[in-house]
Amino acid sequence: MTTYYESDDTRSSGAGDDLGATTAPSDMATSESEMRALTSDMVDAHRDSFPQMRASIAEWREVEGETARRSLSRRGLLAAAGAMIAGGVALATLPAAAATRPGLRAGAARGALPDMAGSVPLDVVVAGLAASLENLAVATYAAALKAAGAHKLGVVPAAIGDFATTAMAQHKDHAAAWNSVLASARYKPITAANPVYAKIVDDDFAKVKSVTGVAELALTLEGVAAATYLEAIKALSTPAAVAIAASIQPVEMQHVAILNFVLGRYPAPLAFASLAGAAPVSTAHGLDFAKS
Amino acid sequence: MDYDEHGLGQLLEQSDDIQADAMRASRAQLGEIVEIGQERRAHGAIDRDEVSEFTERRSTALRKGIVGAGAAAGLGAAILALGQTSAFAAAPSDVQVLQTAAAIENLAIATYGVALTLPFIGGASANAVVKVFVTTTRRQHVEHAAAFNASIRALGGIPQTKADPVLLKVVDRAKPTLTSAPKVVELAITLENGAAETYVKDAAMLKDVNAKDLTASIMGVEAQHVAILLAVRALLAGGAAADIALPPPVAKLPAAAGSVGFPNAFYSTTAARPATEGAVR
Repeated sequence: MTTYYESDDTRSSGAGDDLGATTAPSDMATSESEMRALTSDMVDAHRDSFPQMRASIAEWREVEGETARRSLSRRGLLAAAGAMIAGGVALATLPAAAATRPGLRAGAARGALPDMAGSVPLDVVVAGLAASLENLAVATYAAALKAAGAHKLGVVPAAIGDFATTAMAQHKDHAAAWNSVLASARYKPITAANPVYAKIVDDDFAKVKSVTGVAELALTLEGVAAATYLEAIKALSTPAAVAIAASIQPVEMQHVAILNFVLGRYPAPLAFASLAGAAPVSTAHGLDFAKS
Repeated sequence: MDYDEHGLGQLLEQSDDIQADAMRASRAQLGEIVEIGQERRAHGAIDRDEVSEFTERRSTALRKGIVGAGAAAGLGAAILALGQTSAFAAAPSDVQVLQTAAAIENLAIATYGVALTLPFIGGASANAVVKVFVTTTRRQHVEHAAAFNASIRALGGIPQTKADPVLLKVVDRAKPTLTSAPKVVELAITLENGAAETYVKDAAMLKDVNAKDLTASIMGVEAQHVAILLAVRALLAGGAAADIALPPPVAKLPAAAGSVGFPNAFYSTTAARPATEGAVR
């Protein structure tokens, strides 16, 4: 068994925390350098995308005062939440990446609305929900890489390990972006994983015995994230927040495509992204929206 | 070539089923758009205030650096020329933005159509998965164009049936150079990424909620096309064309194949097309 990962300090947000994962050696090491060269160009592009993100957050900061002042009434929250819940319910009728785990879907579609109406703007709630889903994705990939390192998943192909490491780093970046938004609105960061989904993922993860199982679980999480952002673009009222959600949703869709590919499925089967599996705003219940 | 024809056929069948379900949802959404469009026309068609509000929001975004025009990678000078296009004309409306989107889709349809006539993409010497990808992706762009045009009609505008004029020149210049699969892939990456970045920008800018929803539901699909093409490009560059298969030989794949398809944590808008570039004149 060969430890195939290499430390890559060009990645952001602590990527490589679990680089000790044991993976299968590739028999194509000669092509690796060429692929790395291509990736290097993309890393440069990645850096270029950060100023845009910071600009969006800065714009959020500018309009946050107004947004906070028009803190939603309970009726407003219910209406917006209804739209997001509709996304969750709709997943029962549409097959999609996220629609492959009935437990997750059923669990996500139900639940009480957050007891925060009238005090927390909806955009803040959505930002917190997004951060909590990103935190869960980070935790899940970290757990998977740890399990791989402990030889609990069998032989882990190098490409799968690289996928997990990179996706985890990007989810950290996403969580950081949403927490910057919360900080701009003078709320404390959401550092916990979404409690509703975490329970379901924990239960599912305990049953996973192979890389394929992990990939299936990751596919579900990525599908939930992509659908949630699609729904969030409708629910968010601040243009800067919409821009952030719009810049993240395609990346989650790309994660879905690559996971589909490695699982042997057609990577982009849908002409239109689905709302199936979107996390309802009710799953923000239990998050600590504390003023900083 | 490592290719399970029977398995791929099943995958395509499954994909078609999923697609049919998605189309039902899309049609429902389009029905809603048409309904709203009819209501708007009954009240005097396009709202002039909408245009001025859009302009203001776009100007604000430009000041904040959210959107912009930049150079695109690939195919040398022809594609680099894309970055020299002026960023935005004055007062683009939702209809103009949607017409540009439809124009981009029309060009993608035509370009993939040309690609399928090439022996190494659509002929006997083609990689089967690449051929299926080009065929399926072309069909998805047909659906995107139809959806954008339905949305345009709903808002009282004129559907766009022509290709984006600026990108068309790029494709026309590139055609004689399309002598191998990697060159076609490179051109496809440029077009798909341009589409994805344009729609990411549009999703944050469009005022009409249904147009926004539609655009948002397409941007991620274009990004998926980009992800697949980036992976294919990397495998071709690495001499691993045989690994472009479904299912792929995952254990054999180089590590970077797992991540080369999604290089950025946040989707950029630097290659977004100007909002009125493909508007009906």
